[in-house]
Amino acid sequence: MRVLIFDAGISNAHSIAKALRAADAAADVRTDLTLLPSADCLVLPGVGAFGPAAQALAPYREALRTAVTQGLPVLGICLGMQLLFDRSPESPGGGLDVLAGEITALPTRRRPHMGWNRLAVGPDQPPLGLDWAYFAHSYVCHPADPAAIWATTAHDEVRFVCALRRGSVWGVQFHPEKSSRAGIAFLRRFLREVRCG
Amino acid sequence: MTSARVVACLDVSGGRVVKGTRFRDLRDMGDAVELARRYEEQGIDEIVFLDVSATLEGEASILALAERAAAEVFVPLTIGGGIRSLDDIGRALRAGADKVAINTAAVENPELIDAASDRFGAQCIVISVDTATVNGRPTVWTRSGTVDSGRHLLEWAAECERRGAGELVVTSIDRDGTRRGYDVETLAQVADAVGLPVVASGGAGGIADVVEVFRGTAVSAALVAGILHEGEVTVSAIKTALAAAGLCVRGAS
Repeated sequence: MRVLIFDAGISNAHSIAKALRAADAAADVRTDLTLLPSADCLVLPGVGAFGPAAQALAPYREALRTAVTQGLPVLGICLGMQLLFDRSPESPGGGLDVLAGEITALPTRRRPHMGWNRLAVGPDQPPLGLDWAYFAHSYVCHPADPAAIWATTAHDEVRFVCALRRGSVWGVQFHPEKSSRAGIAFLRRFLREVRCG
Repeated sequence: MTSARVVACLDVSGGRVVKGTRFRDLRDMGDAVELARRYEEQGIDEIVFLDVSATLEGEASILALAERAAAEVFVPLTIGGGIRSLDDIGRALRAGADKVAINTAAVENPELIDAASDRFGAQCIVISVDTATVNGRPTVWTRSGTVDSGRHLLEWAAECERRGAGELVVTSIDRDGTRRGYDVETLAQVADAVGLPVVASGGAGGIADVVEVFRGTAVSAALVAGILHEGEVTVSAIKTALAAAGLCVRGAS
């Protein structure tokens, strides 16, 4: 089982690698895609704003998009989740466009949203395996397909999508790598489902 | 609903946790990663490592500490103390910090906040503000709380927000290490003045103080140090008391 953590620009890729190692996975952080053909799954990290991240992603966009649409399992974390979408109205540049929907600023009084929230799993969705998770973000995604919404949470009474799932495409707005033991267990679960197809 | 965060602050020197009163008289309180792991098991929401040695050796050792901690402790880690440049920030983040706390360098060179936020994202740029009230006016102090910059606390807080900071840690110099409770009045003013998350710091003497600062202000988090390190209270006891007071917290029993 080899996990490729693709770090196109600014991310906490090394923290994610450490958490994946704690979940017993072999994880490589790379700034290019030479390991893509041998990877069993892809982790797309990212922090900060959509625009600069999408720009940094641009040279690799088609190769990544092709791999994911052909079935390479992917877990997008925080901005990495937002990069699964096409674009953000507030930023130029495109994401991977493997999910339809848009990214908007979180319309809350207190921003960035930083802290721990309890997650609410959507109706007819499988359990997430963790109840609480750590967030650090100012933007949120709005998937066009409601069936892709796995879980939501609320900050300053604004509810937003914090986990989504469509086939082998997973995205989480929270940071499993910073959500203590339950976060590591969530990563373990992603790896297990990837392994079992 | 976002929960009230309890943050453990570990003043470190050479990988060891030290604690002093009003920034002086340092005492050894144990291995930093060991303590951080224990707090994570107890349900701490975040950990701050503050390098109080302020030397070049100190910088190397806190980076080594971040590297070690990030492999074993899976809650957000902030590094502060001696962060002066974009290079310092990049090194801290690469070593495993999730956020950096900038204090003196931000006051002396506010453009650093804009540049750091642009390059690394607002969510990892924490501005640490030491404050003391002189003649009724709360001002911002630098150089480990020894130099009064003359800047008004609320003006500086607003400027930090405008320049792209992601969070403010506000430490009352008069209360730090004294266990007389947080400076609730000043913290309430800051938390109302900005839209950034504000972390209360300085003066926690017991569980009641943590409850009081969350009930009396709009702060997002409270920083605790000595009372945890000396084993007087546990993280879970704090969480349980916060939940009993009607606050949303993670991991209350």
